Parts: sequence; structure tokens; C-alpha cells
Amino acid sequence: MEELMRIEGLKMYFGGLKAIDGFDLTINKGETLGIIGPNGAGKTTLFNAICGVYKPTAGKVILEGKEVQGTPAYEMAKMGIARTFQISKPLRGLTIFDNIVAAAGVQEYTGIGSYFHKSHTKEIEDKVEAIIHETGLAEVANKKASDVSLGYLRRLEIARVLVTDPKLIMLDEPCAGLSNFAINEITELIFKLKEQNRSIVLIEHNLPLTMRVCDRITVLSYGKKICEGTPEYVKNDEQVIEAYLGKEDED
Amino acid sequence: MSSAYLFSILATAAIFTLLALSLNIITGYAGQAMMGIAAFFGIGAYTAAIITTHGGNFLLALLAAIVVSGICGAVLGVISLRLQADFLAITTIGINFVMAALFNSLKITGGTLGLTTTKPVVFGIRMTNFHFFIFTTVLIIIVCLLITKMRHSWFGMALASIENDPGAARSFGINVSKYQILAFTIGTALAGLTGGLYAHRMGFISSSDFAFVVSIQIVSMCVIGGLGTLRGPIFGAVLLSALPEVLRFADDYRELVYALLLVIMVRFMPGGLLGDDSPVWKFLVMIWRKIKPRKKTRADLIAEKAAEEGGQA
Repeated sequence: MEELMRIEGLKMYFGGLKAIDGFDLTINKGETLGIIGPNGAGKTTLFNAICGVYKPTAGKVILEGKEVQGTPAYEMAKMGIARTFQISKPLRGLTIFDNIVAAAGVQEYTGIGSYFHKSHTKEIEDKVEAIIHETGLAEVANKKASDVSLGYLRRLEIARVLVTDPKLIMLDEPCAGLSNFAINEITELIFKLKEQNRSIVLIEHNLPLTMRVCDRITVLSYGKKICEGTPEYVKNDEQVIEAYLGKEDED
Repeated sequence: MSSAYLFSILATAAIFTLLALSLNIITGYAGQAMMGIAAFFGIGAYTAAIITTHGGNFLLALLAAIVVSGICGAVLGVISLRLQADFLAITTIGINFVMAALFNSLKITGGTLGLTTTKPVVFGIRMTNFHFFIFTTVLIIIVCLLITKMRHSWFGMALASIENDPGAARSFGINVSKYQILAFTIGTALAGLTGGLYAHRMGFISSSDFAFVVSIQIVSMCVIGGLGTLRGPIFGAVLLSALPEVLRFADDYRELVYALLLVIMVRFMPGGLLGDDSPVWKFLVMIWRKIKPRKKTRADLIAEKAAEEGGQA
């Protein structure tokens, strides 16, 4: 399999707190990789350190052979690393349609020059409409983001990622806070992305779902990788069970 | 009412409209809490006044006012990158007080005596209140057209994204810092131009013309009319410029009236009288739609089609 991104010895410290402490990971093209771990394991911090929200304390992030660690988040987005947020971040005052248009402009935000380019061109609107149908947002397309339910907002996060046609999709708990019905819909959507052979990294607390959709799973605990492998392998690993359920008393 | 009196009010209203529009770019569209717009209004006013009192051309003086005020705004923009909401508001208030104190004590700004300007001559015409009104109104129209174009561009989309959620904006490629600085620069440059006009229309400026109270007046205009819309600040500026004339008897309580209006608006109608969510505006739109139905956007068409298909299934 061809390598898309490699992370080497990534460290993210906040003062004395070692949120990520020496993390290695390889993400291959076209695979779905799951990152799981107990609460506070450092999963979202890992995302933020990769996407440029935080500047890693040490280590390398190599995207297609190029070192990109410490690149600001907006540059990472332009390079094709697209992420969703655990706590969804819609542009509340804009319609769902315009929310996706805003993301579609990823390569257009050049500063003062962007004043001279119209945002709602036919080309952009066609692209946005296609994504709206793909993600099942058609019935709320003209609603303000502040007026739709969380299920739609989660799909909006994915729609905004897809419209940028990214190299790597990073989903941060796309099912958090959703009903079983809505979780199934998001799962279907992730399977659709898999069929398109997209490269996906998924953080999710819903273990059955992660086991179903991921080709490979990495388990994170206290900022360190404790296990990596196929879902079947990870499920039966003693250290993983211990991290989640605790250790049996020896005495 | 004599026409001279009328045009004196109209000229003032036009100048404050332009100033309200400049604040609206920074606070309304880009979402940056700016409470010291009068400082930049003053920088422009003094820059232009100093140039013309030394024999410079009026139009060139206005241009200099734009440039100097815009550069100062860019510097503030860079400082403001580290500040969020409340802290930015407090910083800009501080800057307003510092600038007012400087205007009041520097030799070049005339100290406490202020500066006296002569009525400029443009293309052989000595500008009266009438000419200032026409000139400023033309500028307002140009600015409105430029802002409308901005709202349909990626630049406008970037500002709207930042105003809604800077974190999300970064995640789809928007360099938030760069756009914040640009918004500050453009807004303060426009405030500078307005200051240049004000200095020459008044014939005399002193530091109290650019005190913090003036900044609050401009904020009130935007908030009462409707921040982030084009009509709001224009309506607010005209309303609050006309109000003191109507309420002559209450002149001593003017600041109190502004403050009360501001508090009442923020409490009961934060979007402003003519904001998108205001009942007044919704009612006006409803009547207008009866005359002229809304052109459907692409988003409306998609939603309608989905609703139809959903109904059939």
C-alpha cells in the first residue's frame, strides 16, 4: 500500500502535561484508520497537532514525502488535510448551502485578491449541490445552520470536508451525541466514502462502529500508542482491555 | 426651516453615516469588537487639517488621511491578533483615550486650542454644507456598491466565516489573521477619510470631537440600525443624527439617551431595528415580497425539490 502520511515521534506537551508523548503512525492511501482510546487519551490533541491547530513540541509529520509539522491549520487545509470537529462548528448565521460554499472556497482565500472573485459561481454551486445530495442535506439546504438539528450539523461537517476534495479526511467523533438512527446514517455515509477509496482517519468512541468501518485501528492511552492492528487483533489485546476496563487485582 | 440649516444637518448625517459604515466593516462583517473608531476618525481629521492648513490640496489631504489612518489601523490589527472579544474592546477603548489625549497635548494638533481649517475649494467651487452633503453622499453610494461586491466575493465569505467561527474558518483554508488585519485596515482607512471630510466641514476641530463618547455614538448607530447589514448603520446614523435636532430641549441628556437606547436595543433586539431577525424588518420584507416575489436561490430550489420527493415517497 502506498503511504500518504507518516508521523514520527510526535510530542505535544502543555507545560508539564505530556498530552502526546512520542507517537508514530503511518496512514496509507485509501485506507480507513481508526484511533480509539479512553477519555483524555489525547486523540483530539493528536488531530490538532497534525492539522496545525497546535504546533507540535517535537516530531515529524510527513505528507507525501514532505515535512509539514507546524504548518498553520489554514495551510494544511489548502494542502488537502480536511478535518471535522468533535464539537461541530457551523457558521450559524449562514445557510447550510452557504456553509458548504464557504468550505468549497478553500483555494480561493488569498487575501485582498479574493475581493475580485465571485463566490457563488455556477461551477461552485454545481459542486456544492452534488455534495448536498451525497450527504443527504437537500431538505435543509436553505435553512440557517442555527436552525437545524445536530444530526444535520454532523453531516454538514462531513459535507464541508468532502467539498474540498481532500487527500486525507480526518473525522473527530462524527457520531458523538447522536441517536442510534442518526449514527446509522453517518455510518452509511462513511461506508460510501470508503467505496470511493478515500483515505480516512476516524476518532470514535462508538467501538462497534469503529470495528466495523476501519481497516486498521490504533489505540492511544495517556498519549502513547499501546496497540495497533486489525480490529480483530485490537479487540483481543490484553493491554487494550486493561486500558478500557482496568486491571484485575493480583491478590 | 431654512435650507442652510437643513443642509447642515444633512451634511452631518452623511458624514456619520460614512463613519458608521466604516465601523460596520470591522465589527459587523469581520466580527471584531472595535470601541475606538473615533481615534481613527481623529487621525484622519488631523492629518487632513494639518495638510490643508499648510497649503496642501484638499483632495490630496483626504488621500493622506486615508493612508495614515489605514496604516494606524493595520498596526492595531496586528496587535489585536492576540486579543479576543472583550479584551479587544478594552484595548480599543484605551487607544481612543490615548489618541484623544495626544490630540489634546501635541503641538502639531494645536493642543487644547485645536485646529481651524478653511472651507476647501474643489474645482473652483468653495464647499458649503450643501456641497459636503452631495460629496459625502456620492462617497456613501460608492462605499455601498463596493461593500455589496465584497459580500458576493470570496473576501466577503472569508469575513463572514471568521465572524461566525474563526476555528471553522481556519479549517477550510482561511488565514484568519490576514483577513482580520485587512478588515481593520479597510475600516480605519474609511474612518480616516470621513475624518478629513469632518474637519473641513466643521471648520474647527479639537480633541473632544474624537473622544470615546463619539465612538460609543457610532457603535450605537450600528447596533440600533442593525450590525452586519448595509441598511442598518445607514438608518442608525441618520436616526441618531436627526434625534438631537428633534430633541433640542433634551440636549443635556443626549448621552443618556444614546446609552439608554443602546442598552434597550442590546437587551430586547440585539440584531437592531432593521437587522435580519428584527420583526420590523421582517414585516417590511413581507410587504415587499407581496409586490415583488423573491428570486429563488439555488439552495431554495434544492430544498423544494427534496421536499417534493419526500412528499411522494
